[in-house]
Amino acid sequence: MIDKLKEISKDQLLAEVKKYADAKARFVTGSANDLGDKLEITYFFNASPGMDLSALRFSVGKDEEVPSMTGIYLTAVLIENEMKELFGLKVKDLAIDFGGHMMLAQDSPVLPMLKTEEQLAAGKKGGN
Amino acid sequence: MAPRTITPFGPQHPVLPEPIQLKLELEDERVVGVVPAIGYGHRGIEKACELNEYPKNIYLCERICGICSAIHGMTYCDVVEKLWPLEIPPRASYLRTIWAEMARTHSHLLWLGLLADAFGFESMFMQYWRIREKVLDILEITTGHRVTQSVSIVGGVRRDIDDDQKKHCIEVLKDVRKEAEALNNVLVNDYTVKARTVGKGVLSYDQAIALGLCGPHLRASGVKEDCRTQGYWAYGDLSYEPIVATGGDSFSRAAVRVGELYQAIDLQLEAFGKLPEGELAAKPKGNPPANEAVSRVEQPRGEVFYYAKGNGTRNLERLRVRTPTYANIPSLLVMLPGCELADVPIIVLSIDPCISCTER
Amino acid sequence: MIMLPTVVRNLFGGPATRMYPVTTREPFARARGHVEFNEDLCNQCGTCARRCPAIAIDLDKDKKEWILHPDRCIICEVCAEVCPKDAITIAPQWRAPFYKREAIIYHSKAVKEKGEKTGE
Repeated sequence: MIDKLKEISKDQLLAEVKKYADAKARFVTGSANDLGDKLEITYFFNASPGMDLSALRFSVGKDEEVPSMTGIYLTAVLIENEMKELFGLKVKDLAIDFGGHMMLAQDSPVLPMLKTEEQLAAGKKGGN
Repeated sequence: MAPRTITPFGPQHPVLPEPIQLKLELEDERVVGVVPAIGYGHRGIEKACELNEYPKNIYLCERICGICSAIHGMTYCDVVEKLWPLEIPPRASYLRTIWAEMARTHSHLLWLGLLADAFGFESMFMQYWRIREKVLDILEITTGHRVTQSVSIVGGVRRDIDDDQKKHCIEVLKDVRKEAEALNNVLVNDYTVKARTVGKGVLSYDQAIALGLCGPHLRASGVKEDCRTQGYWAYGDLSYEPIVATGGDSFSRAAVRVGELYQAIDLQLEAFGKLPEGELAAKPKGNPPANEAVSRVEQPRGEVFYYAKGNGTRNLERLRVRTPTYANIPSLLVMLPGCELADVPIIVLSIDPCISCTER
Repeated sequence: MIMLPTVVRNLFGGPATRMYPVTTREPFARARGHVEFNEDLCNQCGTCARRCPAIAIDLDKDKKEWILHPDRCIICEVCAEVCPKDAITIAPQWRAPFYKREAIIYHSKAVKEKGEKTGE
């Protein structure tokens, strides 16, 4: 359970992020998860100064494009590049694009963080 | 206009033995642009944590970073405990606090030594590391290993501190404090140190928040924010107040860490005094349930963020680790342009970078 | 100038380092140094091999062999904690560096009693 989790669609993302930026919140990090047919992206923010965490969550298809929030929060550049490399998330308009070579080298595995068939099956069986 | 050159800074031992490359765009001696390149140490630990059984991940997470190893293990246990949620016994939470603060003590001594090394003050570097060795020794006495402590398990801790060890630790800590005071006096008051650090890499309050910084780096810009104020483990019982400086430059960052060094020792002494009797660990029931949890813990370098998602099996569905340096690296993009080439090492060091732990 | 007291103290103090490996420090009593195995107590239940986070322990049930790969072992002490027969202990001395990845093979001598539970 994450308190203050807000489910949005990817089109609302930039508007919602802008609200956080206007309220002078601090960007904490993002996390992606492979749901099989979709990717689930969660961004975490902290209302500074203080320890008040809130989150934005949306899911996208694996071939859909997602707007980059690096125009609002420059610090998201690392996490967006990482999701692009490891999960294959298609982020457009990145402030600094490492071109898929931030974490991975030329002969690294392709999209290594995506789940295997066995993992997805085990998750469905175990989860309730 | 002077011609521009691109100078690679790193990845082999740029100030500190960590693999980061900064592509510095220079105009004569002045930096005008910078692109950081990381990725030399990516080990895929997040993926490995999905494939491993959850109790085995503790030892893997401890190896994300060598310096904050104990706190990585504890935070992993903390986030998995939050999936049930599972209460840990009070003695275990006090012991975790003590070991976390011990790790902070030795990490800050290490950083202060490296800072002295970065501007060429070799003898002070040696002195700081000599003191640090005493802290590592008490860590080895109480936990069994000086670097990878492996003291935390899901539900509590594995080792106890007995009365003899407690007495010894208190003696050593008081000794360390006395010796560190003599050296910190030099660091804070010496004019050569000030000449190299004051006004280098300045970040204002608003910039610090917009860049999403964390830890001493954030507090040096005047933001009073510390994960320990959440009161996890025993921090709620201890008298604890975040240390803040307002300069926002490299000198303020050193001052914050000097303050935290004393504070860490005081917190340990207080925790030793209040250490309750009781069980060391609670036994978790079954596998982690299908749930999500977030844990934020203050490491020596800043806030570490763990996100875990369980699915009812012995494996976690997803574990995300964001280490403090991950949040602090983008600040280099703002701090470095405009500074002299000779100041680059000190500014890079002032964020206390731990690159291999950033890449996991 | 503020550094002067420290400098003077160091001038008259002894060295802070040791001439390793000529002089070595006694290991601390509860330090995790290396894994020791008691062949007489092990009954091949296999708990240690299942719980080892580094896959450093193998069992050969037919030959009754208990195989340790010291190059993989991270000396986390999990095996010693979970062993129901206390056949595994952790000794505080560090293992010397080695040049080859060689497994150490022990022969388990204890026999499983009938109906006895084997670990988890």
